[in-house]
Amino acid sequence: MRKQYFDKFIIFLMILLILFAIFLQVATVKSTEKLKNEEIEKAEQYASKISKLIQLRTNNDLEFILTYDPKLREQLNESLQAFLTKQYQYIFVLQKDEKGNYRFLLDGSEEEPEEFKAIFFPKSSLFDTVYKTQKMQIIEQQEGVEQIWLSLVYPIVTDDTTEALLVLDLSESYAEYLNEFNSPLMLVVWMMQSFLILSLFALIYLAYRYYKMRKDLIIDELTSVYKKQYLQEFADKNKMSNYNAMLLDIDEFKVINQKFGYESGDMILKEFTQTLSSILPLKTIIARTGGAEFLIVSSKSNGTVEEQAQTVFDVLKEKKYMVENEIQSLTVSMSAMSIPKGTSSIQDIERMLDEKLLEVKNKGKNGLGILNVTEISSVYYRNVDYIKEALEEERLVCLYQPIYETQTKQVIKYEALVRLIDKEDPKKLIAPYHFMKLVRGTSQYIKMSKLVFKEVFTTLQKYKDVEISVNVDLDDLDNADMMKLITHTLYENRELANRLTFEILEEHEVKDYDKIMFYIQQLKAFGSKVALDDFGSGYASYKYLIKLNIDILKIDGSIIKELESSPDHAKTVIRSIRELAESFQYELVAEFVSNEDIYNIIKDLGIEYAQGYYLGEPKPIELYMDDKH
Amino acid sequence: MRKLLVLLILLHGHLYALERESTLKIYHNIFHALSSKVKVSVYTSDKEYKEVFRHSKEITLSDNPEKTDIILITHESALNEILYTMSEEIHSTNQPIIFVTNYHFLKISDRIVGAFYWRKGRSQLLFIKNRLEQHEITLPEEYQKFMIDEL
Repeated sequence: MRKQYFDKFIIFLMILLILFAIFLQVATVKSTEKLKNEEIEKAEQYASKISKLIQLRTNNDLEFILTYDPKLREQLNESLQAFLTKQYQYIFVLQKDEKGNYRFLLDGSEEEPEEFKAIFFPKSSLFDTVYKTQKMQIIEQQEGVEQIWLSLVYPIVTDDTTEALLVLDLSESYAEYLNEFNSPLMLVVWMMQSFLILSLFALIYLAYRYYKMRKDLIIDELTSVYKKQYLQEFADKNKMSNYNAMLLDIDEFKVINQKFGYESGDMILKEFTQTLSSILPLKTIIARTGGAEFLIVSSKSNGTVEEQAQTVFDVLKEKKYMVENEIQSLTVSMSAMSIPKGTSSIQDIERMLDEKLLEVKNKGKNGLGILNVTEISSVYYRNVDYIKEALEEERLVCLYQPIYETQTKQVIKYEALVRLIDKEDPKKLIAPYHFMKLVRGTSQYIKMSKLVFKEVFTTLQKYKDVEISVNVDLDDLDNADMMKLITHTLYENRELANRLTFEILEEHEVKDYDKIMFYIQQLKAFGSKVALDDFGSGYASYKYLIKLNIDILKIDGSIIKELESSPDHAKTVIRSIRELAESFQYELVAEFVSNEDIYNIIKDLGIEYAQGYYLGEPKPIELYMDDKH
Repeated sequence: MRKLLVLLILLHGHLYALERESTLKIYHNIFHALSSKVKVSVYTSDKEYKEVFRHSKEITLSDNPEKTDIILITHESALNEILYTMSEEIHSTNQPIIFVTNYHFLKISDRIVGAFYWRKGRSQLLFIKNRLEQHEITLPEEYQKFMIDEL
């Protein structure tokens, strides 16, 4: 069960228990009340019977008979005594004299019975009410009354005249006895309530401990701003695209510590964060992410990222600190960004800001760099986990750019170009320069290559008259796993291999030509062709022509581009490459043919093949095939 | 355990003090109804009552039944002793007022003006009108309901 649901479940359970305890208490009290009411009803019945008995025995002339017949008085007292069970403390009969004082006529007490006509003060005006109204009353225990729970005062009426009052005092001990009927249940209720109260205290204590511990975990002791740990929690609870983020690092803070000591350094840090808090709007999150590094997350409603970052940067730049009677200034390096949609990972945000911060620092620190949209997406995709996830989900596609024969302007081949599909927007394709450097040399690269080959061979299988070229790096050929993958794939699809060209790129200078030659021979053994990409730039030197047995030369795009700015020089270079290719009997391809003029020049210069946006941009192969047919 | 014991002792002491306080309050009211003095002197041979009155600032205990404002009698023997030693002149207003804690004592001597006792679980306070008159005592209004003409 997730923690948040568990908490709710515990609270729900507590409420349920409290309700149950209340219900039990009410039910128990009601049950006891019912018992007591039954006893009162019984007492009422007794009173009626006793009253009738007295009236019968006295012939409805109570006072006269009792005054002159002590023997009957004695008998009636004994009769009352017979009714004295544990329920009743006292049973007696009172009469009001002419002066309004109550006097005993009969008393059922076994020990020390009251004298006939002894005076009695009943302590309640309800006795008078009964006398007057001739209606029975139940009198609750009052001040100055002991051992009595309730008094039932019953009028003895003859010919509409109240002759006397019969009093049945229900004993307090019997009420306690009745209470004991439900005492086990009351004990359970009491135990439950005690348990609930204890649990409540325990919960309050735990909550206190939790908040104290949480505070220790998320609040930086020195600066009282948040710790890095809190940021992800904040990101999980908030839509991060509503916020701007700023990362700032105090330049050369080590020097301050070394010069003035750590204590002074700490004081500066405190003052620094206080300054930050004072200039930033409320609810802005400031977190200390390193010794002198802070990440700020501020709502976009407070201003644009440029405005916010510039304000912070300017204030901090102007801020002066007094350290050991010396006025000190600090500079900060700062990066900022408007958090794009779909970003929820604080690590991603930190990584993007970190790269920009590094750039600022490399430019000499004391600066502010704001990430633009391209940089954000570039950094965003430059994430191993993102690429790993894309490959695991096979969010990869190959686009195909046509290579034309210049004289006939017919497509003779397509170059397969890999793209990753964006996680949030499937229509958005991520170009290799975002991620290729990151994955090269990792197992992800092998995985990606496997997926590319799979797609390329599927295409070759599907379209029998299509030739495709794929890019491989020289390092790939030197990688045992990669070569194993290539050779295995070629072996599996050997009938298709002759329609495949490997375009070899190089990232650095080749040291062991023999080894590379061996690898190239292996590829060619399956009937595939080998092209040297980007000839004329970087390491793609003439030495390759001498050492490597290749089939195709692809003139570097930067040389072709020069046809626009320095046409004469560019033409001379291209002509020399063409002559070289003719000498070696290499096919020659011009890349970056971006307009008709360049295309015509290329054609006039006798370059056999050309590719570029003028001739066709990278598209799914189906689109070209549909056009063709 | 020891703490619990101390607590129980303290609790018992507290309850005893409460009971003593209520008894003192009752008698304080009765004595002040009977005597107009600010500080009423009371004679009683009962040790328990002596202990109770000892805590009162408005009641002073007297050792001499003849030189006291009120005599409180709780036992029949004490009543007999008092009646024996006291002057025969019963109508004198200078005689101490006798107040008892038993209804039956009222019948033994006409010199007893009133009683406070318990009957059928109810506290009973009564004063006998003509006996009060002999002492020229007029009770406050709130005590009129406890006055009776005869037993």
